[in-house]
Amino acid sequence: MSAILSDDEEGNISISSQSLEHFKATSGNHMARINKRWSSSSSDKRPKLARPTDAVHENITANFISPGQLYSTESGRLFHAGKILIVLVGLPATSKTLLSVAITRYTKWLGVRTRSFHVSEYRRQKSNADSIEFPNDYFSAKPTTERGRKVRKETINQVLTDMIAFFDKDEGQLAIYDALNILEEERSHLDKLFLGLNIKVLFIESVITDPQLIKHNVEMASKSADYQGWTKSEAKSDFMNRLMVNKKLYEEMKPEENLSYLKYINFGEKLIVNNNHYGYLINKIVFFLMNLRDKKGCVYFARCGTSDQDNYIDDEVLNVEGIHYSKVLTDLVLKTINSRRISQCSTPVDVGSWQNSPSSGPTRSASPLIPTSATLRRSESTGNTSMRQPASGDGGDEDSFVVWTAPRKRTYDTAMFFIEKGVNVRQCSQLQQLHPGVVADVSEDEIKHNFPEEYKECLKDPYHYRYPRAESYHDLAVRMEPLLLEMERMRGDILIIGHESTLRVLYGYLMACSCSEIPSLKFTRNELIEISFSPYENKVRRIPIPINQKAS
Amino acid sequence: MPVYTVSNVQNLRICVVMVGLPARGKSFISQKIVRYLSWLSIKSKSFNVGNYRRQTGPPQPNAEFFDAKNKEAYKIRQQAVTKAVEDMMNWFVAEQGVVAILDATNSTRERRDWILRLCRENGIEPMFLESWCDDQELVLRNITDVKQTSPDYVGVDPEVAKRDFLERIAKYEEVYEPLDDNIDRDLTFVRLINVAQQVIINKIETYLESRVVFYVMNLHIKPRCIWLSRHGESVYNIEKKIGGDSSLSPRGLQYAKKLPDLVRQSAGDADLTVWTSTLIRTQETAQFLPYKQLQWKALDELDAGVCDGMTYEEIEEKYPEDFKARDEDKYEYRYRGGESYRDVVIRLEPIIMELERQENILIITHQAVLRCIYAYFMNVPQEESPWMSIPLHTLIRLEPRAYGTKVTRIKADIPAVSTYKEKGTSRVGEALTEATKSRHVLTNPSND
Repeated sequence: MSAILSDDEEGNISISSQSLEHFKATSGNHMARINKRWSSSSSDKRPKLARPTDAVHENITANFISPGQLYSTESGRLFHAGKILIVLVGLPATSKTLLSVAITRYTKWLGVRTRSFHVSEYRRQKSNADSIEFPNDYFSAKPTTERGRKVRKETINQVLTDMIAFFDKDEGQLAIYDALNILEEERSHLDKLFLGLNIKVLFIESVITDPQLIKHNVEMASKSADYQGWTKSEAKSDFMNRLMVNKKLYEEMKPEENLSYLKYINFGEKLIVNNNHYGYLINKIVFFLMNLRDKKGCVYFARCGTSDQDNYIDDEVLNVEGIHYSKVLTDLVLKTINSRRISQCSTPVDVGSWQNSPSSGPTRSASPLIPTSATLRRSESTGNTSMRQPASGDGGDEDSFVVWTAPRKRTYDTAMFFIEKGVNVRQCSQLQQLHPGVVADVSEDEIKHNFPEEYKECLKDPYHYRYPRAESYHDLAVRMEPLLLEMERMRGDILIIGHESTLRVLYGYLMACSCSEIPSLKFTRNELIEISFSPYENKVRRIPIPINQKAS
Repeated sequence: MPVYTVSNVQNLRICVVMVGLPARGKSFISQKIVRYLSWLSIKSKSFNVGNYRRQTGPPQPNAEFFDAKNKEAYKIRQQAVTKAVEDMMNWFVAEQGVVAILDATNSTRERRDWILRLCRENGIEPMFLESWCDDQELVLRNITDVKQTSPDYVGVDPEVAKRDFLERIAKYEEVYEPLDDNIDRDLTFVRLINVAQQVIINKIETYLESRVVFYVMNLHIKPRCIWLSRHGESVYNIEKKIGGDSSLSPRGLQYAKKLPDLVRQSAGDADLTVWTSTLIRTQETAQFLPYKQLQWKALDELDAGVCDGMTYEEIEEKYPEDFKARDEDKYEYRYRGGESYRDVVIRLEPIIMELERQENILIITHQAVLRCIYAYFMNVPQEESPWMSIPLHTLIRLEPRAYGTKVTRIKADIPAVSTYKEKGTSRVGEALTEATKSRHVLTNPSND
């Protein structure tokens, strides 16, 4: 029996007459729940210290329980959807790896046992471990040499074997197969093979027709691990060669193939869902993909400034230190974003005049951020009825910058200098901190003393444990899910000023932390956290907040 | 400024423009979207062009009226859509609307271009939602529905109505231009093909739009029922205390024992799934049910914060201002350190989405939570839903249908205290007066 609570355990709650007596004796008190929804052995054995790396590719242990898991069924699989294989389809440089990693991150967070299988990783490992030279035609869907065919077949078979083992032995529910799969014959073979094993197959085909996007993706690919030590132009022409060879062979998916597929065109500009029989889980993935965007900016996390009192029940204003902190934070965030924009920009847009202009003079531009080419495009489309109008402040543009704060007064006020500078600041009710229940404003020593039993229970599973009348981290994560999707949709920079509990949940999603790690993640007032995005994994940087410095 | 709970985007206004032939479920989808968004406090309204046309045109026009070559009739229809769009634009401004739905066939590109331009000039983003269907069986089922509900066919012989309606559809087909992947590639649009066998989603650019699409994709039209019950009478109920996590009173336990019979009476041998909250009283109520059970934290009772475990009298005495404030705006009032009805609705949203997808679910939960769920299915406005009386020891059956939900209630005949509190008093108990009668949706038999 896995540690994930099965329907049986959760369902047939039979309360013995003895425990009913107990209820009567103590009725009128707040009672901690006696039926544990999450088994206390749920904590996995990984070290609890926060890793600086993204764990989206880590294997999940047999009794893994994910941050956003709502409930599980007897088999440990969610949404009663059975086992599903998602097969990525598409030419090189169509963001297949990014898609498979993003879906893995999201579904894992939802509690689905997901693993992505990247054929390119298999090849890299193989060539490192066995120092096998991969023939050049290996990269074609139809290699021309005997040796190319053999190596290609071996590699793919290895992936298939591992995927089947994942479903069979590791109780996997969702495998994501990241390879070209551009031939109709390959797809039909996969569909038959896995249907035979009672595993449903959904194809996600990424099609890119926008030349700008292709150019960007080729650029990215020529900087990948495959081309370490190559000159830029050699790398690019080699990659273009891989692309052209396969383009000739490519058979785009069509309804006549009679497969369930999702066409994902120009990174979400258009989606086509065909033959969708799989219900909720797939709809949920489509919903996610509607919001997934190629991010240009970063997500920043910061705490709010301090107030004189620090009680849960009060709604305090910032004190002098708190106001100073807000100023320093504003300067630091703007400086960080601008210096990144300068380093990324190939043709700097009038940087000089921006730096020289006084920050509060009448000549100040509306935005404290350096304009990018996207800014120019937007000013062209405003008022032009033939184009979709930009929704102000919704973060859809790659040069947008939005600040989210929790609804509490001092948190919102921490953003006051951003408002002054014309930055969009949004108060999000979902960022309301974890409800502490009876332990609100109670020190740890007092908890130990006044609630010894509860304290002991909490230590066993701090993620799922609720103090009487409190929210658990799990409750918080479920409540915050809409924010995760909004965060995915925003292409520019986001600064989130919030309580430590909510930052833990958001960070936990972006870095694929486990339940056992999230409650002990640390966010202090002397560090700004920056999370940057790349297709294979996300990266964290901790930037010191120079709180002793004079603010501008 | 309106309060957004799903997407706080400032100034975002969307017009969902329905597209499709008659009897493609456009009105059904429109009403569902309005219900879902209103429930989430996103101001939304559907503008049905047919209703406008009936105001100025003939009350029961025949198929000839819908011929595009019929110049006179065409003018009336044109006036109707102009009036609808005008009202819609005024609504956006006057009522700070967020999502409007233009429920009409909008079957020609010319018409759609006209709406598009008008929307953009007014700073509103149009999202086209086309229901396209060539499944004849599905169309015929819809026609049966329309015949029963449309004012166009009141008192008309069903066979005659059906023939006329098919003819009307044929008139529309002559001029119908479906959305085109290529020509319309710059528009934000969704095409539902044969309900949701194929779905094409183009240029969705905001979270709110994606939310609407996700919701529409989860809708199904299979017949099903949902059963709702409060937990049995609890120790706190008897002590007139609110909140807490007490267990059942002896009478509450009696209800729990009788519940399996009540459910079987109403559901027969159907296999249900039981959803409870994480609080003891709902689990004790569900303990004798022979079905699969799941606990949701989202189904827990509204958190009364500092007032938890107090009686209404105690609250009135200790927090007189809070007590008054809550009576004045019960939906928005948030207990100190606790929740408001609005907060409850936000956390119930995944439950509603899951309920739309599932068949046969029995939910055992609490007074405030049931009010919110009930309000969604019955379209009860926010000012009223927190005041609805939902008595203990009563099983409620909801049967969602295309144009509304049918309610049946089954009393267990086990006495219980009333936990209903009238406005302006701290006493509990029903005092049915003429003025408050409409609130007692479930105790008033005429609403069955």
